[in-house]
Amino acid sequence: MKPDVPAVLIELAGLVARNASPDIPPADRAGALGLSAALLGFAAEQWDAAAHNLVEENRSIRRLLGLTGDDDDLRISALAAVNAELRTALIARHATVEGVDPEMDAAIWAELVCSTERRRIAGAPV
Amino acid sequence: MTGPFETRIAAYITKQMPTATKVVVDSLARISGGASRETYRFRLAWTERGQSQERKLILRRDPPDSLIDTERRIEFEAYRAFFGSSVPVPEMLWLEEGDGPLDHPFFIAAEIEGFQASPALLWAPPYLDTHAKLADRKWTILGEIARADPTALGLHKIMAPVAPADCWNRELSYWEGVLDADEAEPLPIARAAIRWLRANPPPPPPSLRVVHGDYRTGNFLFDTAGDIHGVLDWEMAHLGDPLEDLGWSFNPVWTFGRDLAGGLIPADQAIAVWEKASGQKADPAALHWWTLFNCIKGQAIWISSARAWIDGGNREPIMVYPPWALQNAQDRATLQVMGRL
Repeated sequence: MKPDVPAVLIELAGLVARNASPDIPPADRAGALGLSAALLGFAAEQWDAAAHNLVEENRSIRRLLGLTGDDDDLRISALAAVNAELRTALIARHATVEGVDPEMDAAIWAELVCSTERRRIAGAPV
Repeated sequence: MTGPFETRIAAYITKQMPTATKVVVDSLARISGGASRETYRFRLAWTERGQSQERKLILRRDPPDSLIDTERRIEFEAYRAFFGSSVPVPEMLWLEEGDGPLDHPFFIAAEIEGFQASPALLWAPPYLDTHAKLADRKWTILGEIARADPTALGLHKIMAPVAPADCWNRELSYWEGVLDADEAEPLPIARAAIRWLRANPPPPPPSLRVVHGDYRTGNFLFDTAGDIHGVLDWEMAHLGDPLEDLGWSFNPVWTFGRDLAGGLIPADQAIAVWEKASGQKADPAALHWWTLFNCIKGQAIWISSARAWIDGGNREPIMVYPPWALQNAQDRATLQVMGRL
């Protein structure tokens, strides 16, 4: 998720602290804390599976692109950086196979569908 | 100028109402939601010709950084153009494009009181039974926007001209440019969709029309009887192909998970209502193009919100909500429109 979860959590911590002040107008406090609660829910939902999903997706894209290697650094920021490189390469490959290699085209589309399943959050409209 | 916000608003209004005295602004409250403008409601009281008067007003001010970059004069004039027509909109009062009076540009409008805008209310009583009527009003009004002559409204002098054959390319290039500038991570689904859109352009519209630009459930004021009392959020209004608006209203992220256009009725029924009101036919292939295009536009808006937050221009939680809640949903919507999901 972008913006990155840790950066958002730090900002939300500050926001919650500011809203503990009694001189915040109730309507402003309600708006700020209501949205913050929703964002905390999203972060909580993604937390447990975030590293697993990125490793799985990176492996899947490497297979599609015929690349070797695996993820050594399992911090989410490191996995996400590798994921961005792989998805950039996937975009380039996809553009070259469209109308030329139906099998690879279908395989890439299948991976893209899977990528949205990995990122899906509860209550999403689609 | 410093001091309480109410005092600064009152000082500004005093200059706009030279015959008024004892101008007072109070009951100021920020309306939550809305990532493109800060919205406040307040009560204005004043004395004129010896009589005390009051009015409830809305102030919409640019935030430090927004998820969309728009010209508020176009928004202001679009509201003005439709005021008093069959397209219900609030009355615009004053537009300020400078930073002096309130730090950022803003406009002030009459408040349309007593109605709701939140889609979340629609999925429970007493609104559940109003969906058919509300949908009829929703797409009838959109058809009336599409029927209106922009020249007769005077909006051709305000909005950027475009050749009918270039409507699609202008819009797609703009929003693709936003993706290029603002994406914080690669977007393979959006990029594939853009390639398809460029390879399969729609026919030009029969004539240029006013495109609202954000016509969806959530951007109009409704009541418990299924009527609509105000169409809001014209900040992306422009001249273009009226199917663009219809396609935005069919963006699957606006189904609210209900598998109905706008969460209200099947798409074919909405199209029939729109065609009757607009006097135009919605070519299925062209509408499909514009619906997919609007998935790209939506994605560009969501990731721009993330960019505004990441770059530090606006650290409000509302800027995080669209990318976290809708970016993946928009990708899935794109897959759905492309027949891949």
